[in-house]
Amino acid sequence: MNGGPTSADPDFFGHLKVLIVEDSVEMRNLLTALLETMGVADIVQTRDGKSGLAAFARHKPDIIITDGAMMPMDGYEMTRAIRAAGDAEGANPDVPILMISGHVGRDKVTHARDQGVTDYIAKPLSADTLYKAIVAAVSKPIHFVEKPGYRGPSPRRSLDARRS
Amino acid sequence: MPERRTPSRLGGQDRNGDDTPPDVRFIRVPSIAERKLGREYVAPMRLDPRVLDQMQETIRGLETKYAEALKSQVSMLQILVEPACKGDTEARGRLYSLAHDMRGLAGTFGHPMVGRFADSLCGYLENCESEDWKDGTVIVFHVDAIRDAIENPKTDAAVTMETLDALERLIEASRRDRRKRG
Repeated sequence: MNGGPTSADPDFFGHLKVLIVEDSVEMRNLLTALLETMGVADIVQTRDGKSGLAAFARHKPDIIITDGAMMPMDGYEMTRAIRAAGDAEGANPDVPILMISGHVGRDKVTHARDQGVTDYIAKPLSADTLYKAIVAAVSKPIHFVEKPGYRGPSPRRSLDARRS
Repeated sequence: MPERRTPSRLGGQDRNGDDTPPDVRFIRVPSIAERKLGREYVAPMRLDPRVLDQMQETIRGLETKYAEALKSQVSMLQILVEPACKGDTEARGRLYSLAHDMRGLAGTFGHPMVGRFADSLCGYLENCESEDWKDGTVIVFHVDAIRDAIENPKTDAAVTMETLDALERLIEASRRDRRKRG
């Protein structure tokens, strides 16, 4: 281990911009408080997938944390749109997308994976689970698959919901 | 720039052998840490236990505020049950939304049984038909269980689990009735 800013400390997280897409105000507040505790200073909040998509293009986040079920656009559709966006005026379509959802059935997790979600976290959320998921998402390189109609993390990979 | 590889050059589990269509490409996407820190970054990033401790402290700091919000949410649930069961679609939507929020948050803030009762209620409501709403029994019992879990947080865990089991049996009985109705 060298002495550079390679550990998951506020020095590193202070460089990150995080977009939260969540319809529950309590959950938005919780996520914001936890991210601020990690040292993230630049946090953008939106309340549904449609405004999340607009915020992705406008704010160019380094990581997105999204709910699944939202109206009028849900987190699954937003994820697919982001992956298909190409270089959306400098926004990164390969951005890590963490989905936090109360729906932990196999069908939902598989659906999320197939839309290009990076990781899936089951509610209720714990500090430990969120922290580990964020560190993994920002620090591990990912092999993307690019084929007609899909671009994102391999849809063949095994993805299980992280549970607290 | 991402490093692009043809399937034949890719090692590891994404390799797809001879079946891989020629128009499929594998791209190594650099991590956010690599993008931000460049040569300074040395994987793997290690977890900092002090940060985790601070995050847990943050949750504890929010528990009191959430407990107040939860009480008013439960009061609202009790108000919404009657109009929801009588056919008010807006009340049904709000009732589900409140239960959904509890499912997601109550466990985080030290009310795991509220979260589990709310999870059970959400699961029921997600497959609820008009006749189930009109009957209302399963919904009322769930709302009562949530209220009781908040008012009596020191209830024996075995008793609470028994309540959860009873609710699940009630849901199953409701499903059987639905199947009989066709």
